[in-house]
Amino acid sequence: MTKQSEQATPMPFLALLLACAVPGAGHVYLRRPVRGIIIFVTIGAMFWSGMAMGGVLTVDSVHERWWFVAEMLTGVHGLIGWHGQRAVYERLRTVQGDSLDEKMVREGVALVTPADTAARAYAGVAGLLNLMCIFDALMLSVMGVCGEPAAKTDTPNKKPKAPSP
Amino acid sequence: MIAWALFYNPMTLGFYSELWLVFPLCAAVGLVYKTIRIHDLRRLPREILVLLIYMVVGLSVLATALWGIHEYWP
Repeated sequence: MTKQSEQATPMPFLALLLACAVPGAGHVYLRRPVRGIIIFVTIGAMFWSGMAMGGVLTVDSVHERWWFVAEMLTGVHGLIGWHGQRAVYERLRTVQGDSLDEKMVREGVALVTPADTAARAYAGVAGLLNLMCIFDALMLSVMGVCGEPAAKTDTPNKKPKAPSP
Repeated sequence: MIAWALFYNPMTLGFYSELWLVFPLCAAVGLVYKTIRIHDLRRLPREILVLLIYMVVGLSVLATALWGIHEYWP
């Protein structure tokens, strides 16, 4: 496993950009690939579980703005979800008659309780977790930390050597 | 609606089935949190399990307390 390197100096802006775009990419850039893969898989699984529960309108920039902001923090996942939602809204707007809500019900995409709570909690919490990862990647790169931390050598029973006269 | 499609149409969830969904949510939160915090990745499974137990017990106590207030508060 790669050990912490003093020579390599990561660029904070690049780490921030990568972590925002793809969950875990910031950690991969900082030579922590196992952590990056775990973050990518977990956040992706959470977001798409939410999308599976709530359907295409889980990411809803019109009616659920705060959840939308949280969901957008998942980067590429959120953008794919937003693209799907926009396509549905555009298509429903072209249909004549009825209000938008009635059209959504008729299309079978309207989100109702309790599926909306669970779906948005999964997708939104995925985004908030990625915010934590973005912050971690940014702080590590600002501190110049690159690679896995060096293994600790715990020797609690070993007495320190007395200085020789 | 012609046919149900995954990622397009919402699922039908019951209220009590929704409560079970808190376990995978807590597990995922614990997994991501411990992944960025832990020093040695070999200890990850144990740390996640401990954190998951803390979260589930804490949420259960909170839920019981709130239920008690809701039921018995004058």
